[in-house]
Amino acid sequence: MKKICTVILIALWGTLAVLSWCLPAKDISQSERRPLAQRPECSAEALVSGEYMEDFEDYALDQFPFREGFRQLKALFHYYALGQKDNNGIYLAKGYAVKQEYPLNEASVDHFLERMNALYEKYLTGCSVTMAIVPDKGCYLAQDSGQLQLSYDALKTKIVQGMPWADHVDLTDSLSYEDYYRTDTHWRQERLIPAAETLAEALGVTAPRLEDYTQTALARPFYGVYYGQAALPMASETLYLLESEKLDACRVYDWETGKYGSIYDLEKGKNARDPYDVYLSGAKGLLTIENPNAGTDRELIVFRDSFGSSMVPLLVGDYKTVTLVDVRYIRMELLGQFLDIKDQDVLLLYSTLVLNQSKAIG
Amino acid sequence: MIFSSIPFLYYFLPAVMLLYFLVPKALKNAVLLIFSLAFYGWGEPKLLLLMIFTILAFYLCGRRMVGAHKKVWLIVSLVTGLGLLGVFKYADFFIGSVNSLTGLSLPLLKLALPVGISFYTFQCISYVVDIYRGTVPPQRNLITFGAYVSLFPQLIAGPIVRYADVARELESRESTWEDTFSGCRRFLVGLGKKVILADQFALLIRLFRESGEKSVLFYWVYAFAFLLNIYFDFSGYSDMAIGLGRIFGFHFIENFDYPYLSKSVTEFWRRWHMSLGRWFRDYVYIPMGGNRVSRGRWVFNILTVWMLTGAWHGAAWNFVLWGLVFAILLMAEKWCKALEKLPGFLRHGYVLLAVTLSFVLFNADGLSGAAADFAGLFGGGGLPLTTKVTWYYLRSYALLFLLGIVGATPLPRNLGLRLEKTRAGTAASLVLMVFLLLICTAYLVDGSFSPFLYFRF
Repeated sequence: MKKICTVILIALWGTLAVLSWCLPAKDISQSERRPLAQRPECSAEALVSGEYMEDFEDYALDQFPFREGFRQLKALFHYYALGQKDNNGIYLAKGYAVKQEYPLNEASVDHFLERMNALYEKYLTGCSVTMAIVPDKGCYLAQDSGQLQLSYDALKTKIVQGMPWADHVDLTDSLSYEDYYRTDTHWRQERLIPAAETLAEALGVTAPRLEDYTQTALARPFYGVYYGQAALPMASETLYLLESEKLDACRVYDWETGKYGSIYDLEKGKNARDPYDVYLSGAKGLLTIENPNAGTDRELIVFRDSFGSSMVPLLVGDYKTVTLVDVRYIRMELLGQFLDIKDQDVLLLYSTLVLNQSKAIG
Repeated sequence: MIFSSIPFLYYFLPAVMLLYFLVPKALKNAVLLIFSLAFYGWGEPKLLLLMIFTILAFYLCGRRMVGAHKKVWLIVSLVTGLGLLGVFKYADFFIGSVNSLTGLSLPLLKLALPVGISFYTFQCISYVVDIYRGTVPPQRNLITFGAYVSLFPQLIAGPIVRYADVARELESRESTWEDTFSGCRRFLVGLGKKVILADQFALLIRLFRESGEKSVLFYWVYAFAFLLNIYFDFSGYSDMAIGLGRIFGFHFIENFDYPYLSKSVTEFWRRWHMSLGRWFRDYVYIPMGGNRVSRGRWVFNILTVWMLTGAWHGAAWNFVLWGLVFAILLMAEKWCKALEKLPGFLRHGYVLLAVTLSFVLFNADGLSGAAADFAGLFGGGGLPLTTKVTWYYLRSYALLFLLGIVGATPLPRNLGLRLEKTRAGTAASLVLMVFLLLICTAYLVDGSFSPFLYFRF
């Protein structure tokens, strides 16, 4: 009996080993949206320095057979069998995968304030500036599920005190956890009308109305970034776009490529690693939306993170142009070369996630 | 390379097993030597030369330890082994201490600590001392001796296998299905201890260290987590080493015997890192006269042995102090018999408290770090009794603590032994082994491994 058991065990072990050695390497992990390590080049130099061994370990981990299944097995065991409250910092609450954003990173918020004050001093002194924090879904889900969550009130107070030159808008009452994707960090555009109304009111422009838009579903199933990180079994979701004739008429100028595109980049929605890139083509340093059917000559400049990509189309209505700046991808000091900032409306729209980890804001 | 890694489990181990069981008996030690050197070189390519030098040095000294010059070659080998250990492990400790005491600024050597140097140096010393004592003959075959020193199952974190214990098996051994079965099981149980328990407690310890909201309760949670972390880390590694040894036909000595069940510190050290305790007893304590000396000399012997035991664990004053604390407790237990009259649960509580606090000292960042940790444990600095963060982690880790407590008792082993007597029990063992292999693989694939604590020794 022991012989049979040993043979079975070694057969299983050996099969996994042989598959590890023989299976062709994959290029990317769809669920984690990252390239996978490839088999390193073996050289005497790499061997002596130990670099080969380090790279090989990365390769062995990334290319392990049934890797996704093993990650899910670990997540299930860790979360349900061991009763851990989170897996890789992600927890489930009311069917939503939420990143544990804790504690409040004071140094990061200070860095953000320092950069925003520098931005104000250099460019925005003549502008009417509105600041809004985009709460993460943990703001609505953490407390009831006994999770740790940074103090949103403390964050808000710190931001308000640190940016006395801005009008501060509170979006917390305009949102609920259902306005976010279950598997992703982001909010759902089709549920943003109340939040857009709040921002439009603060900016003094016409608020968007849901009936002005047509809701279009993206055919590609959407698995958000937390799906990959948590590795817990969750169903796919559907990305919706709020489309209108006015938005269709808009052109989006990408300052980096010097090309025009549209509000919704359906090619990226179909093929990009992150389908959320359908909104204004995802991560971009500098974009300008030109709205030929604007009700006014007003211009808006939005300093934003990725949450802005799905919100800004709802604020375009009255504005002749809306410029989106992501200072994580363009150096603040270079903005003057592209933009003539005088008296435009300015909206600073940043999520708690970026405020709490603001190192990328240069 | 460490056992709890994908390259070891799915590349190195299958390759060594395949080749080992394919080659004829005469080549088995050569296969073990080559793979053991590759195993060592994988993590320490530059220090492989040091390992090879150590093998050659002790081999040659051993061969020459016959006749009139026996003592000379013993001294040469001891100076070589302890010299290398001293230079690589303790030089900066001494230089730093001298600098602190005298105000000098002597430059530190900043040498990388060769992995497992304390283990293989002690094994080599046991070899030459045993030859000198006439307990074992010198090994004539360099490959066999090299295989003994570098044997990958116990190369980097023990148990400290004395040459005398495996001399016969080095020459001739059998690998039976029974051994392979029990070896695989022992290895996978050790892997589970390391990956599922020790690494998760290590994560909690890291979270504690990084937390800005510490409390008195959090300090105790940390202390208890480290108590379980170090046990499952080290005993898990020993299990894996013993299991691997058995697969290749070796029968290594046990290293742990449920130490947290002890009712005295003396008993604790009979159950904790048994191979190290045995080594210090046989090669330091007894040669110094043991307890068959005057009381003053005995106190000196005990203090010396435990100071060395502490320093063996790390080149820092908190390790030395850690050893001395145990020396004092052991002497107190020897002289004061009051402990023996206490009810069992109180004796048990005393040992757990003493060991927990000793490990706080052990795991501290130097003496100042230890002082801060002890202050935290006893509410110093106006620390709150508890915080919501503390309760969060307590709730999150409650089941793991429970598993850890049960796992530190013989309960799971006894259950396994009882089951094993039936065919269904053997099948259940297989299910457990498959489960452990898959779950541990899953944890490793998810990238949550941490290096063994005992690597630094």
